[in-house]
Amino acid sequence: MLFSSIVFLYYFLPVTLLLYFVAPKKFRNSVLLISSLVFYGWGEPKYLLLMTASIIIGYISGLMIEAFHTRRAKKLVMVASVTISLGFLAWFKYTNFFIDNFNRVFGLSIPFLKIALPIGISFYTFQILSYTVDVYRGEVPAQRNLINLAAYISLFPQLIAGPIVRYSQVEHELREREYSFDNFAAGMRRFVLGLGKKILIANLLGELCDAFKASGDKSVLFYWLYAAAFALHIYFDFSGYSDMAIGLGRILGFHFPENFNYPFISRSATEFWRRWHISLGSWFRDYVYIPLGGNRVKKSRWLLNILTVWLLTGFWHGAAWNFVTWGLFFAVLLIIEKLFLLKYLEKSRIFSRIYVILALLISFVIFNAANMGEALSYIGAMFGAGDIPLVSKELSYYFKDYAVVLVIALIGATPLVKNLVLKIRLNRAAEIVTDCLEPLVLVGLMLVMTAFLVDGSFNPFLYFRF
Amino acid sequence: MKHKSIIVSTVMILFFLGLSAFAWIKPQDDFSQSERRKLSRMPQLSLQSVIKGKYMKDFEDYTLDQFPMRDQFRALKAQVSFNVLRRLDNNDIYISDGYAVKMEYPLNESSVKRAGERFSYVYDKYLKDSGTNVYLSVIPDKNYFTAGKDRLSLDYDRLVSVFKSETEFGQYIDIFDCLGIEDYYRTDTHWRQEKILPVAERLAQAMGTELDLDFEEKTLDRDFYGVYYGQSALPLDSEKISYLTNTLLENAKVFDYQNNREIPVYDMKKAEGKDPYEMFLSGPLSLVTMENPKINNGRELIIFRDSFTSSLAPLLLSGYERITLVDIRYIHPDMVSKYVDFTGSDVLFLYSTSVLNNSETIK
Repeated sequence: MLFSSIVFLYYFLPVTLLLYFVAPKKFRNSVLLISSLVFYGWGEPKYLLLMTASIIIGYISGLMIEAFHTRRAKKLVMVASVTISLGFLAWFKYTNFFIDNFNRVFGLSIPFLKIALPIGISFYTFQILSYTVDVYRGEVPAQRNLINLAAYISLFPQLIAGPIVRYSQVEHELREREYSFDNFAAGMRRFVLGLGKKILIANLLGELCDAFKASGDKSVLFYWLYAAAFALHIYFDFSGYSDMAIGLGRILGFHFPENFNYPFISRSATEFWRRWHISLGSWFRDYVYIPLGGNRVKKSRWLLNILTVWLLTGFWHGAAWNFVTWGLFFAVLLIIEKLFLLKYLEKSRIFSRIYVILALLISFVIFNAANMGEALSYIGAMFGAGDIPLVSKELSYYFKDYAVVLVIALIGATPLVKNLVLKIRLNRAAEIVTDCLEPLVLVGLMLVMTAFLVDGSFNPFLYFRF
Repeated sequence: MKHKSIIVSTVMILFFLGLSAFAWIKPQDDFSQSERRKLSRMPQLSLQSVIKGKYMKDFEDYTLDQFPMRDQFRALKAQVSFNVLRRLDNNDIYISDGYAVKMEYPLNESSVKRAGERFSYVYDKYLKDSGTNVYLSVIPDKNYFTAGKDRLSLDYDRLVSVFKSETEFGQYIDIFDCLGIEDYYRTDTHWRQEKILPVAERLAQAMGTELDLDFEEKTLDRDFYGVYYGQSALPLDSEKISYLTNTLLENAKVFDYQNNREIPVYDMKKAEGKDPYEMFLSGPLSLVTMENPKINNGRELIIFRDSFTSSLAPLLLSGYERITLVDIRYIHPDMVSKYVDFTGSDVLFLYSTSVLNNSETIK
């Protein structure tokens, strides 16, 4: 089920919230679990069994790790659990990729498996992994209540597109949560904001990207417009989803970690990854990079660690070479920055921003390409390769058509509006006025977004496929 | 802070619960007049449909189609798109000098070629050796007149060129210069019958016949909102449908082979129906004949056509003893010989650019 759908907003959500707040506190995790299963099963009924199996394996593993007394036995269970979870992920997400490449290398024709990627498997698998490893490390006690663990893993606000919430981050709140109007209002505010990012910006920029791809009248500047539109599209799509997830969590009494912090204002690729998909970056840091030795090893090993982490990061996003290349592209940038570039970037505000924007545009063209051939041809076209004109009629039309949306997106990708509102609210009178206006603005936004949903067609979130 | 949070929470709870309750209890509608289509209804719940995911898909369609104040929400979206986001079109429809125009774009050459191939099939099967005079013509859509430099439009010269090269078996009649944007309805895709006498004259002249174009213009009382009114969801003014009649048309015999019945030239029941433009020869029908009781010149015209011809054909009747209208979107060409004898007839293929550019419906 999509957050940005009528069925979620006006059928699922009101009923779930009503049942949740009417239920006695001790039954609220059960309400959450049942509603999360309905939420997940709505789009993927057949994969409910897979998720349930993953949850049960994680639950039993946690208990066994805690029950065993020897380090060796604990490790054995942890490794077995991680292997099974990764095995599920590999089977459903990567099997056909490996078959395809095996066929190409050895000239074989092994048939592809007829399996679809279960929605959200990359996210909930990583949550189960972090739970199992954290229990093994002794950082959290094993969860003895299956309903609580299942509610955590299947929690519908963040189940299918993150942020990747670690068990340790919500362990306490699974037992005891604070419910307040402050939490409810803050959550609702965040949810509406995220929905607005998705419906009023990301979806429209997605249409622009589709129009570009379907165009028979491409030009150099149209390629650049596409690159910019897609970078903004994926940011508003994904950060909008994260905002909605964090907001819904807050309404339900949870505090999920932040996932984005205005990544496009970064002045280096290193900074970008501290601001973009923060929960994934920190997951790889804590469960892959640091266990590999991080930067406390000799230089060659350190560089290899960086390459490994970014190869996996790319591969996590999709079973295709363009995702692997995308990950390695960032690995190269990060290595160059760490070796010598970072000190120069810190000296020049203009150069550093141009460098980051250019790198991001190219990276997202690679990310969204159907294959590496398309990625290279798009990047080439951006720099004038091929016999295409500088401008075209379609470029002119679509630029005018989406000009306001692009301007809103560009401003919204910076903390400008947030800072402005904070500054205005320093004045007491302005604070009162904005307080009075807020409910009206939220309802107005909801009405407009509902109008777009009623008139529009579905536009699934990009990160569902990962 | 708490006071403010209580207000925000209360307002949002009331908003969601209110609209949700409205959506649950609102009676279901069968038909959307503005979009001219049936609306999805609450699906039947069954274990099988849930397991297959069909129930969920149908339920989502139902929630979209049956949402309270659906037309008002669609209008709100259009207003925000045009006036706030300054979009140039809404659902590919834009407004130019009060005309709602669909932005037909881009040119789909393979579709135009396909249409040409289908017409060639008809020619090879029925016309090649039957002594017929074959003519072809293309009706421009409104975007041809309004797109200008700022909007996307088909390359009409290229479309006609491709069409002509695929249909060299017939004589092409150019009618583009007989038309202007004012000859079309403001809110609909079609042309206005009272404005297309020059088109009828041009076609008749090319086909070597003379027409009596002395008509009385009558206007329906009912307001007309065309198909683009609903699609654009904008508050456009209504307009009126006029039609041209005379004693010849009042006495003409019209037969609908699809439903095996006689029909009037101007169907007043249809004029009161969901799409008043269907008053012209009772709308989309696969095979219709019009017989002229006043002429015995032995001349017969067979038109392979789309909906534009429904309002044009009555204007051509004075030049022929019989006119047959064939819509091969609704009847396969192989079936046509059961009802039509092509020998010695004039045959006209008359299609709008919209149909040629989206020819997958032609059988």
